[in-house]
Amino acid sequence: MTKRTPRTTLTAYLFLAPALLGLFFLTIFPMLGVIGISLTKWTGLESPTYIGLDNYTEIFTSDFYFARSVAATLYFALGAVISGIIYSFTVAFMLNKKVPARGFWRSVFFLPYIVPAIGTSIVWSWMYEANFGVFNYVLRLLKIAKVQWLQDPRMATPSIIVMAVWGCGSLIVIFLAGLQNVPRSYLEAVEIDGGNAWHKFRHITIPLMTPIIFFNFLMSMISNLQIFVPAYALTQGGPSDATLYMVYLIYREGFMRNNFGHASALSLIFFVFIAILTALFFSTSRKWIFYEGE
Amino acid sequence: MKMASHNSDRGTSIVIAILISVLGLAVLFPFFWMARSSLMSNIEIYKYPPLLLPRSWSFVNYATTLRAFPFARYIVNTLSIAVPSIVGVLLTSSFAAYAFARLDFPLKKLWFTLVIGSMLMPTAVTIIPIFVAWSTIGLSNGYTALIVPAFLGGGAFNIFLIRQFFMTIPRDLDEAAIIDGASHGRILFQILAPLVRPVLISVGLFTFILYWNDILGPLIYVSRTEQNTISQGLANFKSGFGTDWKAIMAACCMAIVPPVSIYFAGQKYFIEGIVLSGLKA
Repeated sequence: MTKRTPRTTLTAYLFLAPALLGLFFLTIFPMLGVIGISLTKWTGLESPTYIGLDNYTEIFTSDFYFARSVAATLYFALGAVISGIIYSFTVAFMLNKKVPARGFWRSVFFLPYIVPAIGTSIVWSWMYEANFGVFNYVLRLLKIAKVQWLQDPRMATPSIIVMAVWGCGSLIVIFLAGLQNVPRSYLEAVEIDGGNAWHKFRHITIPLMTPIIFFNFLMSMISNLQIFVPAYALTQGGPSDATLYMVYLIYREGFMRNNFGHASALSLIFFVFIAILTALFFSTSRKWIFYEGE
Repeated sequence: MKMASHNSDRGTSIVIAILISVLGLAVLFPFFWMARSSLMSNIEIYKYPPLLLPRSWSFVNYATTLRAFPFARYIVNTLSIAVPSIVGVLLTSSFAAYAFARLDFPLKKLWFTLVIGSMLMPTAVTIIPIFVAWSTIGLSNGYTALIVPAFLGGGAFNIFLIRQFFMTIPRDLDEAAIIDGASHGRILFQILAPLVRPVLISVGLFTFILYWNDILGPLIYVSRTEQNTISQGLANFKSGFGTDWKAIMAACCMAIVPPVSIYFAGQKYFIEGIVLSGLKA
């Protein structure tokens, strides 16, 4: 490490200046701004009027959409995170075996992650289309009645969860890399002791993978809670608010209805909501994450 | 006994190979369905039972779609945001990563924690105050608000990733250079940056994808139609041509092919970038 001298301090702060400006202007001040604006009634045209905690009182007592939005977001995120983790771990586990063309398949599973969500959402909505969509064709072959995938309030979120799971290829790549790092010698030791495939999986693979499972779970939770594109492009929050996810609600209040005050209060609540979930998740981590060398 | 276990191993491998192929093809199916639908006539696309492939490939759909979906302009618009942003991200995140990896200075720990902690901050939370700030200085309509953030550190995640790489390079290299009188700027650009080129390429490619795919940013800051980005153009096209599925699929194809080609060209960097983000964190 270059020693601390006034000169290196100056260089360091010069190098850090853009990042620190970013920290203040893109995170810290906007955070304070959200709090400030949430205490006002403001459409952006006239000057804001201070109304204290009225926005919050309204949200928690009379806002018709808020509770539905929280429920829809939690439902989606839980579904997408849990199915996404199970799907991606299973695929990675299989890819970690001797599979022909493994590199090719890894690229295939990753592919949905890098294409524009708006494009893939639209393609899925065509497959979900009630009369000419391919899914209802398959159902008809199986003699099952048509499903209004995105138009049925009970089906909309599950349909979007399937899209999200399809798009979680990054998790597969991370899991696969983790599995490849599990030392062969540990697995062989279990074999020598007469253990079978399940023993290896349960007592070596899973414990060694817990830090990566934790990381994937956390990142996947934070990104899925912010689901926006399908709600914006396909369902506009409907049907019957079934896909009125939080970020879409914030966008709608803020930018379509110009209720900056109300939308800021929602943003702050959303922030606290994610922070609580993250903290809860971290607090469980000590109990189930295995750190080598402890 | 040995034989039997060998056979059952082979049996499992075959089952796994089949499962992976079936799942992999299922993952590719939406891409296939998009391409296939984009080449069909109206009669073919609504046929029952659905055709697997068009009888005659209607490339004319693309010509018709292009009349309402100015793909070339969308590319130019998107690149005018993405290219400067890539430069900004690479420059400013490398600077910050260098300071955190190589220099000692007061409050280093605090800044590091805050910068890295901001990674967990959901972007959606601050969209309103940031928009209000841009509109106060009259820049809420245009590309400025989308490009400038790239020059303000280039994202905590990238700083962290590049820093991790700098840490793996022996200090002897830059210490020798310091003795020879090289400045920190020279060490960063002439010694360290070339050594971590793969991670810089990963960061650059992911930044491109991020801007190509972004929709919320353009929705908020780009309101003039002639300035629309590709994702925005696609969203508008879908709401304007709601049920003309062959045209919509052609537009989707156009929006999806460029990132897919870039992905296949730079696959190694994408995969490594993702792996490192997961394993280094």
